[in-house]
Amino acid sequence: MICYEDVEIGYELPRLAKGPLTNMHLMRWSAAMENWHRIHYDEKFATQHDKLPALLVSGSQKQQFIAQLLKDWVAPHGWVWKVDFQFRSMNYVGETLSSWARVTAKRETPGFGLVDLDVGILNQDGKESTPGKATVALPYRGKSPVPYPFVPPASA
Amino acid sequence: MSILTEAAKAYIGTETEIEIACDVVERGAVRRYAQAIMDDDPAYHGEGPGAERYGGAVAPLIFPTHMFRRPFGAPDPLQEKASDTDFDGSGISTTQGLPEIESLKHLAILNGGSSIEFRRYARHGETVKLKSRYADIVEKETSKGPIALVYIDSDYLGSDDELLCRVRRTYIRR
Repeated sequence: MICYEDVEIGYELPRLAKGPLTNMHLMRWSAAMENWHRIHYDEKFATQHDKLPALLVSGSQKQQFIAQLLKDWVAPHGWVWKVDFQFRSMNYVGETLSSWARVTAKRETPGFGLVDLDVGILNQDGKESTPGKATVALPYRGKSPVPYPFVPPASA
Repeated sequence: MSILTEAAKAYIGTETEIEIACDVVERGAVRRYAQAIMDDDPAYHGEGPGAERYGGAVAPLIFPTHMFRRPFGAPDPLQEKASDTDFDGSGISTTQGLPEIESLKHLAILNGGSSIEFRRYARHGETVKLKSRYADIVEKETSKGPIALVYIDSDYLGSDDELLCRVRRTYIRR
């Protein structure tokens, strides 16, 4: 179990890699969320009609990977409070996506500590596509878990 | 030249009625979703310390935002446009149930990103509700000309009307 006191500014979480993402991975995600946008599974439409270089990895799928990275780090006694994502560039079928997060700040509130992080997704060539920021809540060592359901602190 | 008219700005603050997802949080839908994101967290099938803490089997954090599907009896856009080779299949509204902004309708739309606040997991069997509003609409000058930034806030609520998560989506119109 990770506690607020264990975290140092500059610490980078172990990365979470997904892929190489095949057309089967992309189709499975489209089917799971009932997203029939053809650029995610119809190669002919994506490349010939929409002039994309290849099938496109859905932004909504990439969000999941960052959320999972943070959730697995803080669960079950902490909480992922906020995540911001920006879709700055596209990722394509065949890429391996590694979600990353680095601690940038921490602050104490009554009952639990807050940790701010920069987050993002790098492909196998190290190109960033989904930069963002996140804040997680962590319990103090020897104290109670972060309240669940989560109630944001009044002054944060 | 400005692309943001007073008529467009008048949409700020416009809200939807509460919409109820056509299905409850289904175990099978959670399983397919969790397998698609390759996250085999035991809390999603009701096991482990997570399920114990969260009060039973839960869905992934972002799952409630993908529950607003085409219900039984609603028109089928895939069938209606089955012979249209230019139809891209998206058929997904980007307004979260809000009315289209008339004076921006002719502009291309890009997903600029999102910001999500999480409060709790959705539990299996739970009904999820959605309420959205135009939070802000602003114009920004870029090297390629003016763009409009449309911010939509959406609250996803559980069966008890408790907040599950709050999403701010940014759409770029240019």
